[in-house]
Amino acid sequence: MGRRRRRVAGAAGVGVGALPEAIAALSQSLPAGPSPEVFRRAKFDRPEAASALWRLLFHVLSPLGAVGASASLGPEARARWVKSALSSQGYQRPALARLPEDGSQGSRELLLALSWLLARGPLLERLLAQTRVRLGDEVPALECESLARPGPAVEAEGPVDVRRVQWLLGKLRLRWRGLASGQQEQSALLSKIHGYTHSCHGNHSLGHLSVTEAEALRDPENGRQLLQALESENARLEAAVRWRACELVYWQWMDTVLGSCPLEVPAAASQPTFLPRIPEHRISELELVARELQGLQEALREAAEPRRAAWQARATSAAGGHSSPSAVACWSQAGAHSPQLAARARGCGGASLGGPCRRPCSSSSQPCSGPGSKTLALPGPLGPTGW
Amino acid sequence: MSIVTVQLGQCGNQIGFEVFDALFSDLHCSQGFCSKKENEAYQASCRERFFSEEENGVPIARAVLIDMEPKVINQTLSKAAQSGRWKYGQHSCFCQKQGSGNNWAYGYSVHGPRHQESIMNLIQKEVEKCDSLSGFFIIMSMAGGTGSGLGAFITQNLQDEFSNSLRMNQIIWPYGTGEVIVQNYNSILTLSHLYRSSDALLVHENDAVHKICAKLMNIKQISFSNINQVLAHQLGSVFQPTYSAESSSHYRRNPLGDLMENLVPHPEFKMLGIRNIPQMPENSLAYSAFTWAGLLKHLRQMLISNAKMEEGINWQVRPPLSGLPPLGRASVGMEPHFNTSIANLVILRGKEAHSADLEGFKEPALYTTWLKPVDAFSVWRTQRAFRRYEKSAALVSNSQFLVKPLDTIVGRAWNMFASKAYIHQYTKFGVEEEDFLDSFTLLEQIVASYCNL
Repeated sequence: MGRRRRRVAGAAGVGVGALPEAIAALSQSLPAGPSPEVFRRAKFDRPEAASALWRLLFHVLSPLGAVGASASLGPEARARWVKSALSSQGYQRPALARLPEDGSQGSRELLLALSWLLARGPLLERLLAQTRVRLGDEVPALECESLARPGPAVEAEGPVDVRRVQWLLGKLRLRWRGLASGQQEQSALLSKIHGYTHSCHGNHSLGHLSVTEAEALRDPENGRQLLQALESENARLEAAVRWRACELVYWQWMDTVLGSCPLEVPAAASQPTFLPRIPEHRISELELVARELQGLQEALREAAEPRRAAWQARATSAAGGHSSPSAVACWSQAGAHSPQLAARARGCGGASLGGPCRRPCSSSSQPCSGPGSKTLALPGPLGPTGW
Repeated sequence: MSIVTVQLGQCGNQIGFEVFDALFSDLHCSQGFCSKKENEAYQASCRERFFSEEENGVPIARAVLIDMEPKVINQTLSKAAQSGRWKYGQHSCFCQKQGSGNNWAYGYSVHGPRHQESIMNLIQKEVEKCDSLSGFFIIMSMAGGTGSGLGAFITQNLQDEFSNSLRMNQIIWPYGTGEVIVQNYNSILTLSHLYRSSDALLVHENDAVHKICAKLMNIKQISFSNINQVLAHQLGSVFQPTYSAESSSHYRRNPLGDLMENLVPHPEFKMLGIRNIPQMPENSLAYSAFTWAGLLKHLRQMLISNAKMEEGINWQVRPPLSGLPPLGRASVGMEPHFNTSIANLVILRGKEAHSADLEGFKEPALYTTWLKPVDAFSVWRTQRAFRRYEKSAALVSNSQFLVKPLDTIVGRAWNMFASKAYIHQYTKFGVEEEDFLDSFTLLEQIVASYCNL
């Protein structure tokens, strides 16, 4: 690729050349898929990759037909919408919720979110089905079981006259009848077209042309547009097939992306950015639940306290003796990040707590980064190189 | 979208003929005051709605003619065929050899079920000729025998068989001093049955149209055909094509549906009245000039003061000041009475229709409290002139227009019913006293609802 690539410790993959192809196949089969370079930069959390990924997530999460609305949404609104859509799908990473909404940062988190969506369900297939070119004629079945069931209670501005409600209900009924009449008209006209084009179709089991096909024959411009639509759909389907063949490479690479994220500090103070609206009759149930949760929390705390005290006692007794690796592990996992204690646990032996370390630093102290690699991939002038 | 007209009885058939004739003559009017292209779009829209095409180019009215005697139907068929310009379908009529003698119950309980299948088959055949069916016009008198009883029965059947299509009954309100003794009984039975099965009742009052003929049209000896022609003119001015809501380059596809959505969605308020302006003999048209401001000012005052025509309007009646109840709300009998509207539709046809100022119709004081003018008032426009009137306006109003006449009829019918006069004519054929009582209850309820606006 023209850059000096160093192998990062733990780099996965059969050969790094297969990975860009896999990503290219993926992004060709997605709507608004960005180039593989964007994915690569996202691994290193480069800001320039962020906006393309916000756009991609928006397209992927939008329900059918809402994509046209994206033009009207600014980047902040889009980012907020993407966050709330992900959260409602069950995506829990607080780092995503904390991303600024101006679309300038967070490409790595967005990449993780995208891969989560991909892994979760048949995302590609669903997207491809949504944007299928429809060649046949479809008339949806019109069902109207019950009109206007009362929804959640909304505060009205003043007393509402029941006659106005009856008026609106009547309007609704008239419009349903109009819709049914319109559908009958559509069916009548469709059957006329089918009648006129009888035995025109190449496929004899169908026997007649659909509206799309008839339009394509009538007007050459229409036919050209139809051809283009079909060709681009074909290209996307081929990309999807290629992706399925080599997606393993991608998932192995995603492991490294996840690994390169900083460890999450579970901040107790982090709150969700929005609260769902709760209908009133549920509040009493919620209070019950809240009380039960509180009780659980109390019980947990009571159970955890003596254990923590026991750990502390063991740890201090261990630190007072040898600097055993298990003590080091204990400290770093128990989350006590005080640098003093850590230094003490690392290099000192035989010194009592609270005193300065008298022994020279051990040359066996190891650097914090990874097992024994002498060379590190340094960021190049345009950002990190390598995958 | 197409409208199928069901012409019932002598009244319905004579009026139906005049309606189609008025529509057709407007179509081929030489002076549309608009471009050729626009005129062609207008013609195409009207033709699709009211006529179907025949091989030799003579349009056939989308209509079914029903009567118990052959005389009127034959006259109607031949009048239409004679003109050579349009005609009725050869097999679109149903008649029997003998009449039914003004007996509502006979029409409803005997004629109806007996001929139900043949009549509904005829209507079904007419419906199948339409690519898209908007709904039905049912033209009938309210107080006669065949037209009213059979009409009520047919409307119910249409509700059962074509439940998604709209039903508008064009009802001819009888003269106050009518000749038929039992006309009040017939009227209340018709109205109460129609209220349950029809979507809108567009009422044409014989008294009002008669006055128009006398005062405005200067006709010395007024015949039914004069009256019917004025009536047809009023209907045509409502249902001829108008621009759609989105753009003035297309004509409205479904005026019946749009009218109903705007005026009669509420199940208790279905009675509509028509007013139009100007109305004059054809030979005076060339000598008259109109302004929209003048026309609309008169039309608004006609609405407020419940005037039936543009002459003799009571200009003293004013909308109530905000916050105060309108005059005469408590009882029906007080005069002059400010006419409160539920919803209004104004239709403007002619030169510069887009520039007409309708602010006078959008005052909240004209309307009832539970509907804002933005919901209650709608306008339809077209540049194309109607029947050589350079500018003309029509008003379809769901308001207290008909409270007083309705109350009068109910009162008279009740007085007769209290002494059980003539009831045996009805009970003989299956219309019981309970049916009468139900009708009275329903109509009293409607009068009360309209009074309490």
